[in-house]
Amino acid sequence: MQQKKGYVSFVLHAHLPFIHHPESDDYLEESWLYEAISETYIPLLTNFQKLVDEGVNFRITMSMTPPLLSMLDNKLLQRKYIKYLKRMIELSEKEIKRTAGDERLNRLAHYYFDRYSNDLHIFKEVYECNLIQGFKHFQDIGVLEIITCGATHGYFPILYVNEKTVKAQIAVGVQTYEKYFGRKPHGIWLPECGYVPEADKYLKEFGIDYIITESHGILYADPTPIYGTFAPIVSPEGVIAFGRDIESSRQVWSSINGYPGDYNYREFYRDIGYEADYDYIKPYIAHNGVRVHTGIKYYRITGDTDFKDYYNVQWAKDSAEKQAGHFFDSRSSQIEHLSEYMETPPIILCPYDAELYGHWWYEGPYWLYILFKKIYYDDCNFELITPSEYIDKYPNMQISSPCRSSWGANGYSEVWLNPTNDYAHRHLHVAGDRMCELANLYPNAKGLKKKALNQCARELLLAQSSDWLFIITNGTMVDYAKKRIKDHIGRFTKLYYQIKDDNIDENFLKDISKKDCIFPEIDYHIYQ
Amino acid sequence: MPRKTKENNELKDEIKKEKKATTTAKKISTKSATKKNTTKKASSTKADAKKTTAKKASSAKVDTKKTTAKKASSAKATTKKKSTTKAIKTTRAEIVEYYDLPYRYNQTIIKTLAQTPTTLFIYWDISDKDRKNYENQYGEDFFQITKPVLIVYNDTLGYNFEVEINDFANSWYLHVADSKCNYRIELGRRPIQKNENINVDYIYITSSNEIESPNDKILFNPNQKMVYFRNVKTNIETSKSINTLSFIQNMGKIYDIYDLYKEIYQNENIEEIYNNSNPSSSPSSRFK
Repeated sequence: MQQKKGYVSFVLHAHLPFIHHPESDDYLEESWLYEAISETYIPLLTNFQKLVDEGVNFRITMSMTPPLLSMLDNKLLQRKYIKYLKRMIELSEKEIKRTAGDERLNRLAHYYFDRYSNDLHIFKEVYECNLIQGFKHFQDIGVLEIITCGATHGYFPILYVNEKTVKAQIAVGVQTYEKYFGRKPHGIWLPECGYVPEADKYLKEFGIDYIITESHGILYADPTPIYGTFAPIVSPEGVIAFGRDIESSRQVWSSINGYPGDYNYREFYRDIGYEADYDYIKPYIAHNGVRVHTGIKYYRITGDTDFKDYYNVQWAKDSAEKQAGHFFDSRSSQIEHLSEYMETPPIILCPYDAELYGHWWYEGPYWLYILFKKIYYDDCNFELITPSEYIDKYPNMQISSPCRSSWGANGYSEVWLNPTNDYAHRHLHVAGDRMCELANLYPNAKGLKKKALNQCARELLLAQSSDWLFIITNGTMVDYAKKRIKDHIGRFTKLYYQIKDDNIDENFLKDISKKDCIFPEIDYHIYQ
Repeated sequence: MPRKTKENNELKDEIKKEKKATTTAKKISTKSATKKNTTKKASSTKADAKKTTAKKASSAKVDTKKTTAKKASSAKATTKKKSTTKAIKTTRAEIVEYYDLPYRYNQTIIKTLAQTPTTLFIYWDISDKDRKNYENQYGEDFFQITKPVLIVYNDTLGYNFEVEINDFANSWYLHVADSKCNYRIELGRRPIQKNENINVDYIYITSSNEIESPNDKILFNPNQKMVYFRNVKTNIETSKSINTLSFIQNMGKIYDIYDLYKEIYQNENIEEIYNNSNPSSSPSSRFK
């Protein structure tokens, strides 16, 4: 066996915005959660379990954001997910009949039927509707490190003009983590990797040891880190920063030659939601009759052509295995080269959106599984590690201030601050200031007023989700994102005046507390 | 009740704004001529105002109209709801919600954010109370005979420059020359012509928060001799001479990250590796 000369650390960022509409079944956006459960979260859990069962020692880190945890824990959404699965099982049954004349298609229809039936079994019987416990289990046995995130994925470089609002994002992120995982988080995924040094003192206050930054968060740090992204740095305030490795992200992400573009992989854009006969598919698309993705996709990418070939599960697996081998070899030679020059073994940090694995890159979870097996069994010069373990082994690091940065296009704040969404920022800032004003005006509120103040905090946090700004920039589902900003700022403002006038409308408060039921234990005093 | 007064005020503001916006439209043609000069002047002072006056003014008009109309109808809805309060109690009717963002908060404020290392976003407003005060002090036509300006202070390098803006905008993108510097913006006004009521050439209105623009380059300090380390478990700090570090010895001093990556990945296409744009923000990578 080769001597271990370095480490690779995978960090998957699992996040979805809080979408919860008890008032209606018409919100398409709710299905983001169901698709992510079926395509990403369950496949990840299943593959972790397989690795454990096969005795493979692996390490992976995941950030699970507070909105995602809140949704996974929500009884209504759990029921709705089961309903979604039953509908998908029903649709795949119909598909089995419909495709009876075409053997290859029919095999795929059976594949989807088995897959959704298996999801239902895993969700209900194995995890008793509680996937958080599933992830917690892998953390408890030491193969997975879960880290936290800002309460609602609020983007710090915009919020920090009122530092209390950044502090609250961190505080509630840590509290939510403790509630679900029974311990304090060591690390945090800064929403959108948005780093501002002003947040350091609050990160320290709430016991956070480390953050993940985009590559230039380290490369442009002050003074220049001598090992680039291949070793963490510590800020003068004591926050440790790990930077994304450029080469390994490119291999997975590149739109030209990234792994997910392999011709044998499943084609994301060909879905029976768009292709099947309208009357046939109508019960399985949007309530208002708009065609949407169903999740049943029969084609492989095939090539740069509109004439797509049928998906072949085995071929896709072969490609994933080949690519896992390529990734393995690339990291080995990268580490071989780097370790010659470094005093401590290099760490290659590979952070990705968790939902890339499975939802967008359908074969991603299988690729990870194969890769982790290879790393364990093959003659390998590196090991998998979590950032916490690395810090524990190599606590000596260069002192340097990370660069203000994000992982958005061009590396700074353009995605969340541009002419399409800049109208929102003054409202977010005013609401933040007003929340602090309320917290200081009513330090001892009780009863209804206390409830109203806590709800104000929830509305403010929900308005601050970076997702709304991102969606507006992206230009899809814009109306929904704009409505969410208006609704939360609107509810906040209405309550703000009601609290100040001592004239709280109990019915209104009850109604919005039911809709925006995130963070039941929140305490508005965090804004003092 | 204070709340009603304030809400009414917000409503009044909007109506007032609407009137103003109508007059704005009339003035656009003359103003856009002024704007041309503004941009020219701004760029000569290393600044670049990105939003055009006409666009802002017209969008302000549309927005205000929309807001006012909707506000009015929602106000109506509220009255209606009031009269049926009893019914709500007994039938537990669904709460009907409709919100629009307020056009403004009627406060004197200027805030700035860094969009990129060299682009600042700035928004501002002057409260009605303060407007009145200026008019009382300098005359009813104060806002007609003065023009708004932003003074950009670079507190790190100790220089400042001025950008002329206009009264039809409430936010601006501003190009600055230096990354990794502290900036602070001041909102003020200058008389357009000499006037007997105003015997100063500048009236300060308010100042923004101070921000540091992000860094956008490798910070190589040729005089740096030592590198400082901290053991995060013991908090003991140590220093090493750069010359004793093999990474530096083998790589040479890192002048540029391209050089570093060229050295490490000799057989790869460096341009492709070193691409600052992040694929994770591509639309297809997410649900949204």
